[in-house]
Amino acid sequence: MQPRSKLEKFIWSLQQLMKIDAMNLVILVIVTLIGWSIISESIDNPGRYLPSPVAVALSSVDMLVKGLLPSYFSDTLVRLIVGSAIGLVAGIPFGLILGLNRTVADMFHPMLNFFQSVSGIAIFPIIVIWYGNSDTTVLIVIVYTSFFPIAFNVLSGVREIPLRYINAARTLGASRYQVTKDVLFPGAMPHIATGTRLSIGFAWRAVIAGEMLAGRQGLGWMIFTGQDSDKTTEIILGMVMIGFTWIILDHYLLRPLEESTIERWGLVQR
Amino acid sequence: MGLSMNKLTPKLVVEGLCHHYPDEYTGESVHALEDINLELYEGELVSVVGPSGCGKSTLLNILAGLLPYKVGKASVDGELIQGPGPDRGVVFQEHAILPWRTVAKNIGHGLEIKKIPEVERIQRVQDFIDLVGLSGFEDKYPHELSGGMKQRCQVARTLCADPVVMLMDEPFAAVDAQTRITLQEELNRIAMATRKTILFITHAVDEAAFLGDRCVVFSARPGQLKEIVTIDIPREKRIWADMNNNDVFKTARDRILKSVREEVLVATEE
Repeated sequence: MQPRSKLEKFIWSLQQLMKIDAMNLVILVIVTLIGWSIISESIDNPGRYLPSPVAVALSSVDMLVKGLLPSYFSDTLVRLIVGSAIGLVAGIPFGLILGLNRTVADMFHPMLNFFQSVSGIAIFPIIVIWYGNSDTTVLIVIVYTSFFPIAFNVLSGVREIPLRYINAARTLGASRYQVTKDVLFPGAMPHIATGTRLSIGFAWRAVIAGEMLAGRQGLGWMIFTGQDSDKTTEIILGMVMIGFTWIILDHYLLRPLEESTIERWGLVQR
Repeated sequence: MGLSMNKLTPKLVVEGLCHHYPDEYTGESVHALEDINLELYEGELVSVVGPSGCGKSTLLNILAGLLPYKVGKASVDGELIQGPGPDRGVVFQEHAILPWRTVAKNIGHGLEIKKIPEVERIQRVQDFIDLVGLSGFEDKYPHELSGGMKQRCQVARTLCADPVVMLMDEPFAAVDAQTRITLQEELNRIAMATRKTILFITHAVDEAAFLGDRCVVFSARPGQLKEIVTIDIPREKRIWADMNNNDVFKTARDRILKSVREEVLVATEE
C-alpha cells in the first residue's frame, strides 16, 4: 500500500517500527525465559534459590486469586502518584521562583544539587525518628525524593534561558509576572519534562525502599517479607512487577512528554 | 525634503547622555558614551554608524531601558526613560523571537501583554504578517524559518505592539548578503507604509546611507556624535538597483565612509 497523506505516512512508519520493536522484544523475552529455566533446572533446590518462570507464573496466579497482588500493587502505585504529585507541584514553582533572580539562583543552586544527591534512603533513618514506621514516613521520603530533582532541573532550565528572550518580552512591556508566565515557564518546559521523568524515576525506587524499611504493605513489602517466609517466587514476582511498571510508565507517559516538548520547539535537531 | 517632519515635537530626545562603567578586569572607568545629544522627529529614520565598540549598542540599550544611566536625559514623547516600556520597540541583532510560540503568537505577544481582546488581536496580527510578507507561515515555529524570516517576524512583532519609536540593533548583520538587500528594501517600504520613527544601529555604511533620512556617525571610544549626514532621497526612490546612479546617495555614502574610516584608524591605533 502506498502511503498518501503525511499522517498516513507517519502511522505507517510507526507501525513498521512497532513491528521491529515488538519482534525484538519477543525474542529477548523468550531467550531470557529459556536461559532462566535452564539455570533453574540445573541447580539444587530451585524453589529456594531460583524458581523457574513457570513457578513464578503459578504463584502470581495464586496471589491474583487471593487478591493480594492487586492490593499490593495499587498500594504502591497510589503512594507513587500521591508522593510524586506533591513533589512536582511543590518543586516546579520552587525552582521557577528561585530562578527569577540570578543572585538567588546562584546561591541556591549548590544547595539543591546537595539535596539531590542525598538519596531518599539516606534520609530515611531521620524521618523514622521523627514519624516512626508509618505511611507518613514513606510519603515524606517519596515527596523528598521527587522534589529535589525537579526543583534543580527547573532552576537550571530558567538559568539557561537566553537573556535576549527575557529582554524581548520586557521591551514589549511585560511585567515580572508576564515574563515568568510567557518566557521563564515555557522556556524551562524541556527541563520540567526531563525533571519530571527523573523525579518519578527516583520516587519509584524510593517507594519500594520505603515500604521495605517502614514495613508498609505494597510491592516493596511483598518482596521483603518474601525473604522471611522463604517465598522466593514472590520476591521474583515483585521484582518483575517493579521493572515492568516502570517500563510502561516511562515508555507510554514520561518519554513521550519529554520528547514532544523538546522536539516541537526545535530545541533538538532530529 | 521627501518627508514632512514636525520639527517642533521630537519623538525621542537625548540630552547630554553619558555612560561610564568600570572595566570588568582592570576596574578602570570606561567611557562608553560621552555627552550624546540627539533628536528624532516623527516618521524619521535615523541610522547610527560607527566603529565596533564605539558605544552605539550601549546607546540603544539605554534607550530600550535595558541599561540604567546616570548622567544626562533620554525621553520619548516627553517621558523620561526609566526601564523598558512598550513605547519603545526593539529589534535585536540575534533573533529574539520565542521558540515555543508560533509566528502569529510571537507577533501578537505585545498585544497579549497589553491584554487586547483576541478578536482584535488576530486581525492586527494578520495585518502585520501581511506587511512583512510572512503570509502562510502563521503557524510555523521559529526553528522552521530562515534567518531572514526570523528577522521579519521580529520586525512585525515590534510594529504590532505599536511603539512610538522602533529601535533596531544591527538587525540584518547576521543574514546573508542577498537577503540583507531584500530586507533593507522591505524596511524602507515598511517605514514608508507605517511612518514609524526608527533608530537604526548598524556598522555597514551602505546600509546606513540607504536607509537613513539622517545618518549619525559615532567617534571611536569614548563614543561621541562626530557628525550627522542628511540623506535627502525620497523613500519611494530608495531602490538598490538605482542607487549606483544616485549622486545624493553616493555623496552621502562616501562622506560617511570617510568619516567612519578615520574613526576606525583611531580605534586600531589605541
